Amino acid sequence: MQTTLAALAVITVGYILAYLVFDRLRDRFGYVGGAEYVIIGFLLGPRMTGLLGAAEVQDLTPIVSLALGWLGMLLGTYFRLPALARIDTSHLRIAFTEALATFGFALAALLALFHYVLGYAWPEAIVQAVTLAAVATLSSAAAVDALTRRHRPVSPLVPVLQFTARIDALIAVAAFGLLLAIFHQGQVSLTVRPPTATEWAVINLAVGVSSGVLFHLFLGPGRHSDEGQGSRLFVALAGAIVVASGASYYLNLSPIYTNLVLGFILANSGAHRDVTRLLLNTERPVYLALLIFAGAAWSPSSPELLFVAPLFVLIRLAARFAGGWVAGALSAPPVLRTPWLGRALLAQGGIAVALAVNYTQVRPDLNGDLILTATLVSVLLFDIVASREVSQLVSTTPEDGDLSRVNEGGGRELLTP
Amino acid sequence: MIRRLVVLVLLVGGAVLLEPLRAPTEGVIAPRSLFLFGILLLTADTFGAIAHDLRLPRLVGYLVAGLALGPSVSEIVPAGVLEDLGMMKRLAVGLIGLLAGAELRIADLRQRHRLILLVLIFQTAAVLLVLLGASLLLRDWLPFLKALSNDQMFFVALLFAVILTVNSPMVTLALLTETRAAGPLARTTLGVVLVADVIIILLFTGAFSLAQASLGGATAGAPEILLRLLREVLGSILAGGIIGGVLTLYLRFVKRELVVFAVVVVFATAAAAPALHFEFLLSMLVAGFLVENVAPVRAEPLVDVLHQAALPVFVVFFAMAGAELHIQEFAAVWPVVLLIAFARMAAIYGSTTYAGRLARAEPDVIRYGWTGLVSQAGVALGLATIVADRLPGVGLAMQAVTIGVIAFNESVGPILFRHGLLRAGEVTTP
Repeated sequence: MQTTLAALAVITVGYILAYLVFDRLRDRFGYVGGAEYVIIGFLLGPRMTGLLGAAEVQDLTPIVSLALGWLGMLLGTYFRLPALARIDTSHLRIAFTEALATFGFALAALLALFHYVLGYAWPEAIVQAVTLAAVATLSSAAAVDALTRRHRPVSPLVPVLQFTARIDALIAVAAFGLLLAIFHQGQVSLTVRPPTATEWAVINLAVGVSSGVLFHLFLGPGRHSDEGQGSRLFVALAGAIVVASGASYYLNLSPIYTNLVLGFILANSGAHRDVTRLLLNTERPVYLALLIFAGAAWSPSSPELLFVAPLFVLIRLAARFAGGWVAGALSAPPVLRTPWLGRALLAQGGIAVALAVNYTQVRPDLNGDLILTATLVSVLLFDIVASREVSQLVSTTPEDGDLSRVNEGGGRELLTP
Repeated sequence: MIRRLVVLVLLVGGAVLLEPLRAPTEGVIAPRSLFLFGILLLTADTFGAIAHDLRLPRLVGYLVAGLALGPSVSEIVPAGVLEDLGMMKRLAVGLIGLLAGAELRIADLRQRHRLILLVLIFQTAAVLLVLLGASLLLRDWLPFLKALSNDQMFFVALLFAVILTVNSPMVTLALLTETRAAGPLARTTLGVVLVADVIIILLFTGAFSLAQASLGGATAGAPEILLRLLREVLGSILAGGIIGGVLTLYLRFVKRELVVFAVVVVFATAAAAPALHFEFLLSMLVAGFLVENVAPVRAEPLVDVLHQAALPVFVVFFAMAGAELHIQEFAAVWPVVLLIAFARMAAIYGSTTYAGRLARAEPDVIRYGWTGLVSQAGVALGLATIVADRLPGVGLAMQAVTIGVIAFNESVGPILFRHGLLRAGEVTTP
């Protein structure tokens, strides 16, 4: 009894301290993260008070898989084809150049780190490096969105940054999904020939597409905007996401990728604006629930962490700046040209944590703790500085009046589904 | 609806097709449980809509969905999967408890205290007496009473009657949320079932100790029983007070991410309850009640988010409750189950109507008050399980009949209560 009471006291005091610290950061720097929730999770988890033991943490899997799928589906719903078709080509060029360059730089550095410095064989090095490169590539539009809510009018860079953040997430999730398909883990039934890497990739896509088509049929054409309908839509969506995630886990594939495809199909099937609205409204609680779980599952024990986690932060910073420079200085039109594009894309957000948690679930044998620790350290640090960097970059670029010269299309529509 | 059912069949069929490619990491997660949990949610949502179209409460649809997929019928969702999802159900119970406590307004209790008290006293006494008498009369058909001596028979029958005295805060709240009913009948029923929950815990502990003693099991003396009882109830109230205090401070100083915070509080309480020996549901009820009625903050933001989260929580709870129903046991003893269920219903009807007249309640409360007290669900099932676990032999035999009666009340009760609310004109969203 005394242990339980002590555990509750530790959690309460820990939360209060974390809240006070991060609330100050919120006031001073416009901090948009949820580090205090990682701390709550860590304090609740088996490594600290043990109030949520390993078994209970495992019992939370339905909520966690829902959270992973929720974030994946939300990402998928951003890519509505009619809106994409109206995006200015310069925005597309900047976004894809930035995402691919950042991923490439991060991957090269991480491959070198895992293979040459840490001595892993190529397959293991590739799996870990691609995962962390995907995490490094991820950026979140949360800081940009927070800035636009506070100050209007804003720089023409804002829609570019928002779009680039989505493309970063798309590249990262696709890379991670393909990684799990190509380096597939687990033994299939003896009655069938084990699928090849390409076949796994196709199966992964097929699970997402068939889930999307089936749930389009399941949800039907009706509108779901009133309060009661909204709650029922929540139940149907939660069921859809859990089923799609369960199917992915069944095959040891990525539920985030599957739900991204599912979200893409629902968003493009016409009658599902309510789906996107609901996903957006619940994004924050879902993200925070994921942070709590990540904190509870966090077990920073390996000595490599002291070395790899800070190094990963540095690699991400360098890759982000390099990718931003390539996109902003070399491929952007004059009005959007800036060598510091990467500064405004430092925030990582929920999908980074989702990828790391997903990695610990499907590859627990290969440094799950290391990947989760590096990701959490990176997410927490970059979330602190992200808002300040965004406002500094945006304040040095011209105001929204110039936007019409750059983009007459539907970039904003894509971002406000 | 047919389209939805076809999609569900295709989903299950797709899972069967994927089975040979299955390569899950079972040690970390249970993909099968996860997949089937999703199917359960979608089926419950679909059956809920069908029930609504048939002018039945949605929760009847959730129960039927759970029953149809559960171990009793198709076994698509086997018992192991329900065990894997136990934490989800505890979360649902905690959130419902918090919401139920917050729905209980002190002003309503003050205004209707005489009526609530009279209904409580008469209902509890009538159901106990009628069921005790019925059990003794039907002893030859009740397998758990057959081989007992007269003393043992009396105390075991008393325990059986106490379990069947329990009402269902879950069903009441789910129906009130679904129908948005807020009139005298709704407020009286909510008051009765929530206060009755506390009384039943006391009665059950006493009856259980007496039955255990009569059967010759290891038991404690009367003072010790009373002390343990008081400690559990007072501990739950104290824990509820502390949780209410934490929620109040959060509402006062932070007031952000309320749904996430509520979920964390429920999880922490669920984890702490067994170690600190307090009753989880009761503590959440007390916490919700204190935040709404006593705390110097406005609790509306918390109550609003709990209301928004209520429907998914009810779907999870009732679908899982449906899946846990064992209708085979009902099938084996159905004549006696029906006799007992109707005797209980008659006792509730007579006692509530009389109490209503005595307290000069509104005519609709007198006429339909009994409809809200027929339902039984989680608490009664929990008590039946405790008896089965701790009194092997008698307990297991009793569980078959008890669960049969609870299953009947769980299915019929919500229909009756919805009908009562409709007739009383309190339903705002039919």
